[in-house]
Amino acid sequence: MDDYLIGVLSNIGVISFVALSAYLLLLTGEISFGQQAFFAIGAYSAGIATAMWSWPLSAALVFGAATGGASAALVGLPTLRLHGLYFAIATLAFAEMVRLLFELFQYQVLIDGELVGPNGADGFRGIRYIFQNDISALQFMGLIYALLAATLVGFLLLERSVLGVSFRMIGEDSVLAQLQGIAVARHKVLAAGLAGALAGIGGGLYAHLTTYVEPRVFDVMLGVLSLAYGLIGGLGTALGPLLGVLIDIGLLESIRALAGYRMIIFGGLVALLLIVRPRGLLDERVVHHLGRLWHRAWTHMRMAPR
Amino acid sequence: MDAHADGTEMTKITIGTLVAACCAAGAWAADVRAKADVTCKPTATKLEYDCIIKLSNARTGEPLKDVTLTVGADMPSMPAAHNVRPVKAEASAEAGTYQARIQLEMLGDWAVRLDLSGAVRDRVIAILRFEADRVAPPPPAASKAPPRHRH
Repeated sequence: MDDYLIGVLSNIGVISFVALSAYLLLLTGEISFGQQAFFAIGAYSAGIATAMWSWPLSAALVFGAATGGASAALVGLPTLRLHGLYFAIATLAFAEMVRLLFELFQYQVLIDGELVGPNGADGFRGIRYIFQNDISALQFMGLIYALLAATLVGFLLLERSVLGVSFRMIGEDSVLAQLQGIAVARHKVLAAGLAGALAGIGGGLYAHLTTYVEPRVFDVMLGVLSLAYGLIGGLGTALGPLLGVLIDIGLLESIRALAGYRMIIFGGLVALLLIVRPRGLLDERVVHHLGRLWHRAWTHMRMAPR
Repeated sequence: MDAHADGTEMTKITIGTLVAACCAAGAWAADVRAKADVTCKPTATKLEYDCIIKLSNARTGEPLKDVTLTVGADMPSMPAAHNVRPVKAEASAEAGTYQARIQLEMLGDWAVRLDLSGAVRDRVIAILRFEADRVAPPPPAASKAPPRHRH
């Protein structure tokens, strides 16, 4: 596998985390334009942990997830009463606030005669863990996809659990969910925290993949795209956002002649899908239909005479 | 400012060492930290740039020879959106000097990614502003901040 393909696949894997993060909030009926903030918090936290505090990568990723999740839960608390457009604007404002704070954030230490650490708008360079520990690009890609697979299994279990059903009920009608005895506020803070943790893991992986982060990486564009991935791919399953990422980065990237026009194509695709399929390609109906087909095929296979 | 007048001028950018100290690395190759001076200039083809990269050991200043260098680029403002296909740089006669031709997708600030393998394994990032007729480092961080209000 050549470096270019590894790079593209690694990017798809890492961006999938922030797409899944936005998807989790969409399940509870909230549109967030601010998941990039937790991606940034995770990236800086994990980067600081390995590059400055000499933590192992696993601990750094957990730290990134924890800071991302805790920040998201804290933001979730005051924004609980907000819905729809107001919630979206609040998350966008928070994300911009975080980005601007990172433009001011300076925390550098001298290591081996070199200043290491976040340096405001100049960013945070030298997150060299994978090079110092001789981890190949292919191995790191394997780590990204192992964590993504674990996350998908988590989503699979979540969607079959009472918690997952509660999230979807809140997303459909929060008043009705409350009447059914679901603690809406608590579930929403939990969803926000989990979504923040997911974005934090993605951020930690991104920082170590690129070895460099700066505040403008985490601007509103990333937030809009992460939301769009779910809306394009579909809200019926956690595979939906991944399909969205694949369409954007993978498919359009594979058609190099269109690469310069990708944002125009992608924007048009989002607009078209919102009209034709408002809940994305893999919406609940398609997922249910595919599930029935799979079940029928499985039953047929088991019943077939040997 | 006459942009075309600047077009033939080569812009030399010195990029600091992009390093961090972390856990003890086992291999010698992983211990060496690279420093790069990157100089790019536009070619006759749109969005195509010739880059000359001078690699040295960040600690000793010695030129880094016998490394395989690939040059890629990402756009910091659009993470993961533009995956410029990395190209292998060719070693020049001068020790530690390499040259590569990169094809970008649009003008603007790019993080030029220098991946070293072989005798030294490291990555150096150089942030450059690619314009149609020149390549320069982006304005310093201080100038990005809004001007102070003065009475």
